[in-house]
Amino acid sequence: MAKRAGVGFYIFLIIFVFLVMFPFIWVLLTSIKPQGEIFSSFQWFSSNMTLENYASALETRPLLMYMLNSFVVATLTTIISIIVASFTAYAVTRLPIRFKGLILGLVLAASMFPQIAVLSPIFNFVTDAGLRNSYLGLVIPYITISLPLAIWILSTFFIKIPLALEESAKLDGATPFQTFRKIIFPLAAPGVFTTAILVFIAAWNEYLFALTINTDDRWRTIPVGISFYQSQYTIPWGDITAATVIVTIPIVVLVLLFQRRIVAGLTSGSVKE
Amino acid sequence: MKQPKKRRFQLSERQLGYAMVAPSIILIAVIIIWPIMLSAWNSLFDYRLNDPAKAERISTLSINLETYADNRYLVYDTMEDIRSAMPDAGGTLDDIATALDEQHETLLNSDEGLAGRYEEVNTMLENYQPVNDDELRLTEVPEEWADGFANTLDEQTAAVQALREDAPEEAVQPLTDLESQLSNTKGSILEPNFVGLKNYTSYLGDGRTWTAMLNTLLFTVVTVGVELIIGMLVALLINRVFIGRGLVRAAVLVPWAIPTAVAAMMWTFLFDGQSGIMAHYMAQFGLIDDPGTLLSTGAGGMFSVMFADIWKTTPYMALLLLAGLQTIPRSMYEAAEVDGANKIQQFFSITLPMIRSAILVAVLFRALDAFRVFDLIYVLTGGGPANSTESISVYAYKLLFEQQNFGAGSALSVIVFLSVALLSTIFIKLIGSDLFSGRLKQ
Repeated sequence: MAKRAGVGFYIFLIIFVFLVMFPFIWVLLTSIKPQGEIFSSFQWFSSNMTLENYASALETRPLLMYMLNSFVVATLTTIISIIVASFTAYAVTRLPIRFKGLILGLVLAASMFPQIAVLSPIFNFVTDAGLRNSYLGLVIPYITISLPLAIWILSTFFIKIPLALEESAKLDGATPFQTFRKIIFPLAAPGVFTTAILVFIAAWNEYLFALTINTDDRWRTIPVGISFYQSQYTIPWGDITAATVIVTIPIVVLVLLFQRRIVAGLTSGSVKE
Repeated sequence: MKQPKKRRFQLSERQLGYAMVAPSIILIAVIIIWPIMLSAWNSLFDYRLNDPAKAERISTLSINLETYADNRYLVYDTMEDIRSAMPDAGGTLDDIATALDEQHETLLNSDEGLAGRYEEVNTMLENYQPVNDDELRLTEVPEEWADGFANTLDEQTAAVQALREDAPEEAVQPLTDLESQLSNTKGSILEPNFVGLKNYTSYLGDGRTWTAMLNTLLFTVVTVGVELIIGMLVALLINRVFIGRGLVRAAVLVPWAIPTAVAAMMWTFLFDGQSGIMAHYMAQFGLIDDPGTLLSTGAGGMFSVMFADIWKTTPYMALLLLAGLQTIPRSMYEAAEVDGANKIQQFFSITLPMIRSAILVAVLFRALDAFRVFDLIYVLTGGGPANSTESISVYAYKLLFEQQNFGAGSALSVIVFLSVALLSTIFIKLIGSDLFSGRLKQ
């Protein structure tokens, strides 16, 4: 780690970051070009910048509605799965129960299965329950993705808390559940928060269930809504680039604010410490 | 007098443990394991949502009481209309009614309690309630009755057709209605659509399935391989102290964090034959003959989806590997340098063995993600041109929801499931107990 960075290193770094960010830069530049220029020229900068694409993107499709839908669904999914998963992760890592390996194995298997394998039965179930085109109709299938993910990450955070804390709580007369609620859970709060961010992003980005279950435009989420901007005959690139910029901003803010935590969550358990 | 001992309700640690695990296990069982089993069961039927006779799983010859009762009511209603529009048809209509009534009696007597259920369905229909309870709606019927009933309906349909030949104008419409109602009544008899493994044999013999399978494998191997190599190079290069670490980390996380469907839309724009800048530059540099090549040829389409996936995921791979690299103590490299090992020897004898399990875990999760790829391909190319970029999940989705063929679509999704299960078993054998380290106390 003592290697020092030279000039060549920074040039490489700038090129790397530029390549990674290039699609965003180009989409941003396109979104402020007038319609005509998008189809006719490959100039980087437009001489007469305009916000007409943004106005059009918000007018032709209920983009803000999509964002609200995504937000509500992702938030509900996150709350439910964090509560249920923190119970399980706590029990598996800290309580004297049997079959721990089996339970974690089941969780791991559940995080690996392909969503297409449960899509049609869940579609039938949601249809029969009258939950098509509703928030709950997406939250239920999203639990299939978020719950195993949350248990898997949370357990790495719970296991790091020293066991001595529980012993002293027990001596002070706390019940096992009080120990969990008042001591361990608050101590694991940073880990819980990290897990919540990752679960939220996973639910925000989901496409297959959202495409199949909420088919009414008013109930679509961001990923599906964006993919429906193109009509059969024309592709309104101006609208699409503007909409892309609008929906990417919240993610960029989230990543800038919480990058350290996200990296901690992504790499948890993948390396031995 | 003894005071009753005050007892507080309290769970032991072990009981609490099981109580805390229970909700997750129940949820996983109900919304993952049970649906997978249903998919497997569905795949054994010729089950199509867009064909009323096959819109559900029927294991034995049955009658749909809802359709039957509904059409029986309509048939009698229409016959009244015909009577008033065409008085001399009375005799024929009486014959039809007698024949239908006779079959109706036989049906209701064929099974104990059937008459009661028929009444219940009828009452629900009168109140405009849908009959969702399969137990109530579907009833097994004897084969002789079903054959006889179908014959009767055919005979009566012929009689109605004969009537129509010299019917007055105002009776033509009701007669046509009656004919279609009789045919709908016949549709209430549901032939069993259990086909065993036929969906599997027919789709495994189909070229499109194999193309989709090969596309998926090619996509998985190429993207994960390239992501691993580039990710490793990037991780090795940025594993040092430099200014602006946070900024680089954020830049690297954004492609990972945006929805795949949004990324796919962006790349559709960049690869577009007319206004796409990637296509434009690639054609200018002579990498492709024509900007249109990317999205209008099979090889170009495959390149496009792979490129977009590599762009989106390599940074993530680099982050995982970087975390692994940072756990290697500096002293190991110093010792190797003293022994005269060069950089390449150091990489193969220290770095690789030290982060072996980090690599395997990263590759496992990436490979499983790549194997079930759906959004990226569905939005970027839609599986085209001419199915040349179709992955097995995309094909299964199209069978399920575009062709509404739930039997065949389920068979394909079971095949995806089994492939993923096989893939993960192989990996977990390779990784071994390392996968659980950090989660379980040894």
